[in-house]
Amino acid sequence: MKSKKSIVLGERVVNKNSINKGFRFWLAFYAGRFSAFLCRLFRLSGTSLPGVVALKLCPQLLFYLGSAYEKVIAVTGTNGKTTTTNLISYYLQQAGETVVGNGEGANMISGVATALIKDCNLLGTAQSRTVVLEVDEGSVGKILPAVKPDLIVVTNYFRDQLDRYSELDQIITLLRKTIDGLPETELLLNADDPLAVAVGRGRSAVRYYGVKGERDCKEVEENEIREGGFCPDCGELLAYNYYHYGQLGDYRCTKCSFKRPEPDFVALDVDDSDLLHFSLYLQNKNTGEQEPQKGSLDLHSQLRGFYNVYNILAASAAAVIIGIPQQIIEASLPDYSTATGRLEQFIYQGRPCTLALIKNPIGVNEVIKTILPQEGKKAFLIAINDLAGDGKDVSWLWDADFEKLNQSMISKVVCSGRRAAEMAVRLKYAGLVTSKIVIEPGCRESLEVLGLQKVDQYYILASYTSLFNYAKLLRKMGKAVVNDAAQGLPSLS
Amino acid sequence: MRLRVCHLYPDVLNLYGDRGNLLVFQRRAQWRGIELDVDQIMLGDKGDFNSYDFIFIGGGSDSRRTLVLKNLEKIAPYIVDAVEKGAVLLAVGLGFQLLGRYIMAEDGTVIAGAGVFDAYTEMGSNRAVGDILLEATADLQEELKKAGNKDITTLIGFENHSGRTYLGEQGKPLGRVIKGEGNNSRDGTEGACYKNAFGTFLHGPVLAKNPHFADLLLLKALSPQEEISLDPLDDSLEILAHNTMKKRLI
Ligand SMILES: [Zn+2]
Repeated sequence: MKSKKSIVLGERVVNKNSINKGFRFWLAFYAGRFSAFLCRLFRLSGTSLPGVVALKLCPQLLFYLGSAYEKVIAVTGTNGKTTTTNLISYYLQQAGETVVGNGEGANMISGVATALIKDCNLLGTAQSRTVVLEVDEGSVGKILPAVKPDLIVVTNYFRDQLDRYSELDQIITLLRKTIDGLPETELLLNADDPLAVAVGRGRSAVRYYGVKGERDCKEVEENEIREGGFCPDCGELLAYNYYHYGQLGDYRCTKCSFKRPEPDFVALDVDDSDLLHFSLYLQNKNTGEQEPQKGSLDLHSQLRGFYNVYNILAASAAAVIIGIPQQIIEASLPDYSTATGRLEQFIYQGRPCTLALIKNPIGVNEVIKTILPQEGKKAFLIAINDLAGDGKDVSWLWDADFEKLNQSMISKVVCSGRRAAEMAVRLKYAGLVTSKIVIEPGCRESLEVLGLQKVDQYYILASYTSLFNYAKLLRKMGKAVVNDAAQGLPSLS
Repeated sequence: MRLRVCHLYPDVLNLYGDRGNLLVFQRRAQWRGIELDVDQIMLGDKGDFNSYDFIFIGGGSDSRRTLVLKNLEKIAPYIVDAVEKGAVLLAVGLGFQLLGRYIMAEDGTVIAGAGVFDAYTEMGSNRAVGDILLEATADLQEELKKAGNKDITTLIGFENHSGRTYLGEQGKPLGRVIKGEGNNSRDGTEGACYKNAFGTFLHGPVLAKNPHFADLLLLKALSPQEEISLDPLDDSLEILAHNTMKKRLI
């Protein structure tokens, strides 16, 4: 066992060598290692094959692997998992911790197993002290009991890939049942989301984060959808004082005492006009007062978009809970830049080109709201696939507010992917004249059509399975832009 | 010219892009110079159902079933009456199941539906999820032709429903399943028709994926009795999307 304790103190009993792992574990472990070796040999990156192989041989594998870490943090929910997970890992690294994590697309049990197998040396000893996992909403029942997290962060619950999870209620019930078996685990929930709050009903070790409503003057937009307008305790309709977006806001039950819980971590003075900036207050719930002396963090980020306030807030709150000093959080956040697809910047045909992942209506609406105020003439490329990673049902396109793209500054929208024609139909009914709509299913071909448009800005909105192809092509055909951390200015790489 | 439209329970039945059906209906009307007045009837509201030319009810989460039925039973007789008098109605997913004769829960309890369609649903753990392709019944094909459709005989959608729905002796389906599960995965039927009312499990939204079906509903709403015709539209995008999916599914 390592003797050195870093600032992030692990209080859990670490079973680095004390559990007798047995023959099946070692067989599975080496089969997994060998598969990982083969994957590298054949340049298959990002596959969960090692985990699939190892779990076949030893279904309890995760239990053995997970017990080797001093701190286990899990993030689940619909939107914002990847950004929140990555940012928590980043804070831990900045605090001098060794961290292992999975990644989006690897957030089911085989992906988690693959990540942990790779973190072990050949003797089966974990190389990192902490693990931060992004956990798919449908996989919480398999992953969480095995790795026994110290902290579970819940981002939000929106309708997403309903063909896979059919109902939000089922996902939430699944998580509630799962944490019943984890009495030691602390929860960090989004106070502004009644569906996330429902997860923690009847539990004591729950803390909440929320955004103070200063956007209440903003009228509710007609085209936005609301889910979760019902009380988790009595089933009655919820009434809202204000909405942030989706069902996030300040709500109360019209029949019983259920209402938005007072957050322990509050985002105040949010400036989302460009790069995000806000203050995070640690609130004393007993007095109901903010305690600046106890902690108020001044947070500056390179991320944009109001929805990212929640991701930064959740990750920073988690960092405070696990004991990362506030100075480290404040000082390191400005240097954190985004993972692929979260408004990644490129230069293509000499023009700025933004690439964004879209996977559900709320996500689309927030992305569109973030990029539309930017100046100049624009051309869009929207790539919709319907493979398992995207969600096979693309009817959600009709719940997203594509009507916003019907404006004179947008001169062309190229539709691509396996559902290119259906996307084009959606835009036609959103009010775009058909002369602005181009159908080009191919990835490279669609990018070429986009490159012919003489505009000031390009925007590519891509569903999951086409996202990485566009990122790869843009690096080849154009240039990726990295933000110069010291100056906060964009520069070319 | 104006049409009066009722959107039933958009506050609870609002899944799977189904509200897109109303958008498609509205646009296709507007492109022909016809405006719509849309009333949203929320849970607990009453409505004057005899005044509507078109009534739409969409899909929703199964957990809302009991809540919706409790409210629906108060207005069900008025909806049935409106349909008997020729009102045009489209019910999708859970909305279709709720307008059948009854729903039997997994524990055997039976809850009465609105009774518009001669159909009933037995809940179960099975779930039908995926793209679905139908061949419209001969009667429906005949009607689609009258609405200006040239040669599309199929209907396309994405189904996502649990339980099995069966048609009674008077029940007529919308079509025969070529690819997918349909009402109950067993008898090859999909949906139900009664007078000018149509029930289906096709999401997508169904009217976006099937412009010919949208026009049939529009034509019926304009003139339930006498025969008129609609101005043709340029549907090349819609037809391309329909045929692309059809090719993939056959
Ligand atoms: Zn209540």
